[in-house]
Amino acid sequence: MLKVIDSAVPVACWSCSVAHNDATLFCPHCSKIQPPPGSDFFSVFGLAPRLNLDLPELEHEFHRLSRKLHPDRFARAGENEKQWSLADTALLNDAYRTLKDPIHRTEYLLKLHGAEIGEEHSGKDRKDPSRVPADLLEEVFELNMQLEEMRMERATGEPDPELQASLEQAKRKFDGLLDEVDQDLRAQWQAWDEGDIAVRQAAQKTMVALLDRRRYLSNLVRDVTETLGV
Amino acid sequence: MAYSDKVVDHYNNPRNVGTLDKSSAEVGTGLVGAPECGDVMRLQIRVNPETQVIEEAKFKTFGCGSAIASSSLATEWIKGRTVEDALEIKNTDIVKELSLPPVKIHCSVLAEDAIRAAIGDWKKKNGVAETATAEAKA
Repeated sequence: MLKVIDSAVPVACWSCSVAHNDATLFCPHCSKIQPPPGSDFFSVFGLAPRLNLDLPELEHEFHRLSRKLHPDRFARAGENEKQWSLADTALLNDAYRTLKDPIHRTEYLLKLHGAEIGEEHSGKDRKDPSRVPADLLEEVFELNMQLEEMRMERATGEPDPELQASLEQAKRKFDGLLDEVDQDLRAQWQAWDEGDIAVRQAAQKTMVALLDRRRYLSNLVRDVTETLGV
Repeated sequence: MAYSDKVVDHYNNPRNVGTLDKSSAEVGTGLVGAPECGDVMRLQIRVNPETQVIEEAKFKTFGCGSAIASSSLATEWIKGRTVEDALEIKNTDIVKELSLPPVKIHCSVLAEDAIRAAIGDWKKKNGVAETATAEAKA
């Protein structure tokens, strides 16, 4: 379950009993490995939850922690520590995979802050029309019709070259739109990282809408690419 | 995740797939999308102007099995109902009938939205105000 870590809540180290921050994989006092913290992915790396991340630094920290957690180093350790080295490694891998990807990172951070994104979304606030990119719907539908036609033509014989050209053009267009969305998202990162509560909330809303739009576009680009076989 | 038998049945044998003439006054078209998964669903109805009964319903859905099954079921249910009756269909009815898991509930919401959008389009074309019918009902 996701939660924002409250680093003010200390946990006692199982080995030396000195209290430490819950997000720590190793006790800062005695350096012993700790059970997987129930904290967010940012805290695993000792980072504040932010969208603009220093990626080389993140990678460096990932490699450093991976080496420290490597199960080989716990071959002669107690049963608990062996288990924890595996569990902590799994957590670290999940955290790294999520944070290094700009889209996954944005979705993850927004979820931490209560935004409903992706398949988990039960559809309760769908009545908010801004959630559905209405301007795209007609185009999305038409393109899907063309894709279906193309697949059927492929299955029965020669596809119509005009249809092929039209799909290629559509792919270029949607690739471009996808780039635009990504740029718009990045523009919101700074607002979120540095803004006050009001700015953050506005940025969050904008990003949720952008991510919705992006999902349509990326699904389309994927389907067109698959059908064209390019 | 395994689909229920009913979803599989609708997916393999979708009912009422197709297109109605969008420009006809008797036809209402609803085009809706689910931002969660990028699915799009078009649902069309042909309403008898005398009786306000939905005599024909067609759909075309690009999406997962649950989205196809939800819209297929929706067209089956609204056929033969009056417009006002069809508005009574709730997404929870679809969830129940198809045993949709929580992650697929939005597919049923999409189907309900599509019914509403199609009826809304038909009302707009025929000058039926939403509030007037609501008052007439009350």
